[in-house]
Amino acid sequence: MIRCQALRWGAPGQPLTPPVNFELSTGSLTAVIGANGSGKSSLLKVIAGLQKPLTGKIFLDVSRKGSLSFLPQQQHLDRQFPISLQELVAAGFWGSKQSPDLRNQRLKTALEDWCLSGLAHRPLMALSGGELQRALLARMSLAQAPLLLLDEPHAALDELGQALLWKHIHAWHAKGRTLVVVCHDLAAVRQHIPHTLLIKSSGSVLGPSTELIRQQPLTQVA
Amino acid sequence: MLSAPQLWQPFHEFVFMRRALLGGLVLACSTAPLGVFLILRRMSLIGDAVAHGILPGAALGFWFAGLSLPALTFGGLGAGLSMAGLAAWITRRTGLREDASLAAIYPISLASGVLILGIAGKRLDLLHLLFGSALAVDGPTLTGMLWVSGFSMIAMALIYKPLLLDTLDPLFLQTVSRLGPVAHGVFLTLVVLNLVIGFQAIGALMVVGLMMLPAAASRFWSHRLPVLIAIASMLGCLSVWLGLLLSFFYSLPSGPAIVLVAGGFYLLSVVFGPVHGLLRRPILPISQ
Repeated sequence: MIRCQALRWGAPGQPLTPPVNFELSTGSLTAVIGANGSGKSSLLKVIAGLQKPLTGKIFLDVSRKGSLSFLPQQQHLDRQFPISLQELVAAGFWGSKQSPDLRNQRLKTALEDWCLSGLAHRPLMALSGGELQRALLARMSLAQAPLLLLDEPHAALDELGQALLWKHIHAWHAKGRTLVVVCHDLAAVRQHIPHTLLIKSSGSVLGPSTELIRQQPLTQVA
Repeated sequence: MLSAPQLWQPFHEFVFMRRALLGGLVLACSTAPLGVFLILRRMSLIGDAVAHGILPGAALGFWFAGLSLPALTFGGLGAGLSMAGLAAWITRRTGLREDASLAAIYPISLASGVLILGIAGKRLDLLHLLFGSALAVDGPTLTGMLWVSGFSMIAMALIYKPLLLDTLDPLFLQTVSRLGPVAHGVFLTLVVLNLVIGFQAIGALMVVGLMMLPAAASRFWSHRLPVLIAIASMLGCLSVWLGLLLSFFYSLPSGPAIVLVAGGFYLLSVVFGPVHGLLRRPILPISQ
């Protein structure tokens, strides 16, 4: 559960919206849409505790450390870093108390799930943007956090990768995890995500995706 | 060229050469992982800044206690840590970039050091402090180096995993653990500690060479972090050994000899290294 009360965020002195109230229930799957610069990514960072809100409060029903997985937009990774894809994915086991055997098994399954088995030993430098994105998603799936925040997870993914992504998002949703997904592909949001939070400079609206996206001409929010 | 027995003979024959070798080898092993991580964190020049910054502390130590190892060490440590701490604090409070902040602090620190030495009456040779003399490593200095290097290697092993993640993906580490800032702090402390203990033996500026050159060279030999660290340690040890031999047989100052050998390894790596070396095409190692 994520409850925001009178929340404002953005650069100091420049809040992106008027105070916002909303509640996303446990196990919900919600898209965040809005124009470039409307504050979608910052909102995820505020929820993840990586950025402080300007005013207002956020309540989570889980602790931020370990129970929350955040997938930022991927440009922040140093591609020259000397580790392999498998080592990057295995970081998802941080804090896990599982036996090495079980971990190996789960790592293998996760790599297969995200079609990465053949790339396990490649250095980051030799991965395409889509492969790296799938690796970060595989790391997320190993972490088993109940609250998942994804910032444009479909960026850099090809058609096959996107199909894989939506399959896993539905599987995570079915397991009762809470998901918040920033997404600018409105057709995909309508098709895959039941609820949508639309962020505008005049405020935000939370509602069923099919209603919210039908109301808005595509050019205004895309 | 040196003959095979000559490679060992000076160390067999002279205690001061044995001490210098042992001290240099442990220092090379403990500075290697620090250098590799400094490069990965894009902080390669910070060693240089800190090495200049420890001068006023060492000078103050000398002023009050003379040429005593604990006084110089604690003085240098205090100055190095407070300089790094002040720079980090300014960065956090004002958003000034960390390298700019350090670059601004260390000339202040260096100038105060030179000033203090001037007031103290030039009894301590500034050149000795900056460039050291490996052949002057005495028993207590060697013991100090062994302790610091041992401690530093153990501490690095303990913070290896959080430091790796904090370097690669700090946002991820922040969401799973609070260890990021701790690892960063311990890491910077170790850098200062190694520079301070090393400046006794091969001089403040020369330790930076021993820390950064093998680390920079190792990048041309592997894509894997543990291998990089192992290669850097090996190159560092080879540089210490060959550098001391050169210094012994050709009467050269030992610190610069060691660093220039390391520099030679670096240039060879740039040309011949299999990973993006000048003579190799960029490889995409599909089968590793």
